[in-house]
Amino acid sequence: MNKTMAVVRREYVERVRSKAFLISTILVPVFMVLVMLLPMLMLAGGDHTSRVAVVDASGSALGAPLASTLKAARFGSKPNAMPRYAVTVFPATAATLTAERDRLIAQTGLSGEHRGDGYDGVLVLAPGTLASGKLEYYGTNVGSPDAMARLQRDVSDAIAGVRLATAGVDEGVVKQAMAKADVSTTKVEDGKITGQSGMAAFGIAYAMGFILYLAIVIYGQQMTTSVIEEKTSRIMEVLTSSLTPFQMLMGKVLGVGLAGLTQMAIWGGTAFALGSQGGHIAGAFGASAEAAKDFALPGMPVSLLVVFLLYFALGFLLYGALFAAVGAMCNSIQETQQYILPVTMLTMIGFFAVFALIKDPNGGIGATLSLIPFFSPFTMPVRWSMTSVPLVQLGISLALMVLGLLACVWIAGRIYRTGILMYGKKPSWRELWRWIRVG
Amino acid sequence: MSTPSVNVESVTKRFAGHTAVDRLSMQVPAGGIFGLLGPNGAGKSTTIRLIMSIIEPDEGRITRFGSAQSSRDLSARIGYLPEERGLYKKMKVLDHLIFLGETKGLSRAEGRKRALAWLERLEIAGWAQKKVEDLSKGMQQKVQFAGALLHEPELVILDEPFSGLDPINAQTMKDIVVGIAKSGRTVLFSTHVMEQAERMCDHVAIIARGRMVVNGTLAQVKADFGGRYLALGFSSGREHANAALADPRLVARLDDYGASAELRLADGATPDQLLSALVGAGVGLRRFEVVEPSLQAIFVAKVGADPDAAPLPQGAAA
Repeated sequence: MNKTMAVVRREYVERVRSKAFLISTILVPVFMVLVMLLPMLMLAGGDHTSRVAVVDASGSALGAPLASTLKAARFGSKPNAMPRYAVTVFPATAATLTAERDRLIAQTGLSGEHRGDGYDGVLVLAPGTLASGKLEYYGTNVGSPDAMARLQRDVSDAIAGVRLATAGVDEGVVKQAMAKADVSTTKVEDGKITGQSGMAAFGIAYAMGFILYLAIVIYGQQMTTSVIEEKTSRIMEVLTSSLTPFQMLMGKVLGVGLAGLTQMAIWGGTAFALGSQGGHIAGAFGASAEAAKDFALPGMPVSLLVVFLLYFALGFLLYGALFAAVGAMCNSIQETQQYILPVTMLTMIGFFAVFALIKDPNGGIGATLSLIPFFSPFTMPVRWSMTSVPLVQLGISLALMVLGLLACVWIAGRIYRTGILMYGKKPSWRELWRWIRVG
Repeated sequence: MSTPSVNVESVTKRFAGHTAVDRLSMQVPAGGIFGLLGPNGAGKSTTIRLIMSIIEPDEGRITRFGSAQSSRDLSARIGYLPEERGLYKKMKVLDHLIFLGETKGLSRAEGRKRALAWLERLEIAGWAQKKVEDLSKGMQQKVQFAGALLHEPELVILDEPFSGLDPINAQTMKDIVVGIAKSGRTVLFSTHVMEQAERMCDHVAIIARGRMVVNGTLAQVKADFGGRYLALGFSSGREHANAALADPRLVARLDDYGASAELRLADGATPDQLLSALVGAGVGLRRFEVVEPSLQAIFVAKVGADPDAAPLPQGAAA
């Protein structure tokens, strides 16, 4: 036990002290923040008021109500939010419509110093618009699905309002009828409200799967690399004369695992700080506080945290043992490709299963996948977060997970014992099977 | 005599296609220095790895200190320097030694104390906080040497311990090895350099192609070969000596240096037969000496320069 602890300590201390650890600890969050903020910054460009010229040849007073509807539209729901549109109405007749339209289009989408002088878009109300509902829009922002959907909705609202008014419906009634429905979603679990919104549950589920996947891929590769290093540096021979393969394997997996947890604790702490201070930080990057709020960390129920950490630890150990066994089979990183593929395939299946589960957390696929040890670390926490999993199922899944872990460590230990002193030719699958059988 | 430190009983180890160790038996007595000699590829390292339980024998058994436990279970009592030296390159020297001590069951505090003492003794104390990769190869060897001896094992097994060392460092290591033997502990080391073994060993075993060729105390091995070796110096009439030297009834093996020669007598021949033959032929001799054979000569005689000449009789051990 003390010897295993010595290996754990060595692996942990050497890893945490290394430059690579320091650099990745700093760079990964910077990268993540950039990945999160860049789209925000890009979207933030759409947050300016569009100057819209309305050419009104409808002759049926559609122009004025439409203008007032557009003027009322704002970014966000706050009363002091920026208006979406600055509207100027240009009356026209059926005869002058085309000329007027072309004149305004010529002033649209100007670049350079004239940018502020023209328009961002031209909305054309033809004589038949009110009846047919057909109208044209020429603009710089037609490529933005979001902006176009908004415009379509705002214009539809205005036309509907005018049609109702024309039909003699009272203005107050129209206003009331046109008021938008606002659906707020809340997750229910086991007959109780959990206080999470649907989006938050999805976010947590996705994040958990992603973190586990990332951890396994990054630290699993490190595990393989470090075993190969021990083989190529021939330190293995000294170690095998005083340590059992099991001690070496467990020490390594635990040491690398703890180093990984340390790194993730640093990241988690940083993310928490970012989450609680998100508004200020995003503001500093030029994004609106509104946009940053979407990225704030949702609260996590304690039971979910426990389930996640339990599966995380078990899954990490299981895959860690497999990656260490791969390292023991090979003499160079290049050689590992062939053997590492099946292991990474398992993690990928597990990770992508999360998406299938999000659609139908309680389906047959979900229930099955959350029982198979290779996949349950990904799938069970997701199911737990999205639906109420029967405790019996959780128990069976955990028991199978522990059994799977023991089996993997046992097999990996056998491969390790034979493989670590094998130099030269890499083993065929058949030889590998013999290593496991004979040990 | 007390229990031997290592007892190898008729051990065979085969690798794909060839037999690395073939029904090998040897005893390493407690105390003193035991030399395991043999040409490259003779099976020295395989024998040592078998003794270290790094690989398991296909046949036969090995006991250490009279116990059937594996070397790993006895690792607190055994120190090991493998032929292929290896250290964690990124680790600091002192941390590395402490870790090696821990794998042998030392506490961290004790490991640190002893590591510092060893670094002092090997005159590399100034490098304690440097990374292993910053050290020269010779210094890395010293570190590994210290790592093998840190826990003061009663049996020290060194595979080619002096290869790759400069003369000064090699001398330091030799002094340490001799010191270990003087303190009553056992050293088993392998080498293919005969003169090292000749100067240091109390016991030698020569193996070739996985089999035991000669085994015993150095004095015993030499005595068994004594009288069979002659050193000649010619003063005149060198050409008349050719007939006698080429006579297979007299000379089994000849190293001809022109003005001098070393030879081994044929079985049944005596030194005076050769002397009378030479004198009778009119050869002038300035030297005619029955010599104690060097280990080198025994080695060459027993193992042979070319494989066909190598005598590999069953149980050739002295």
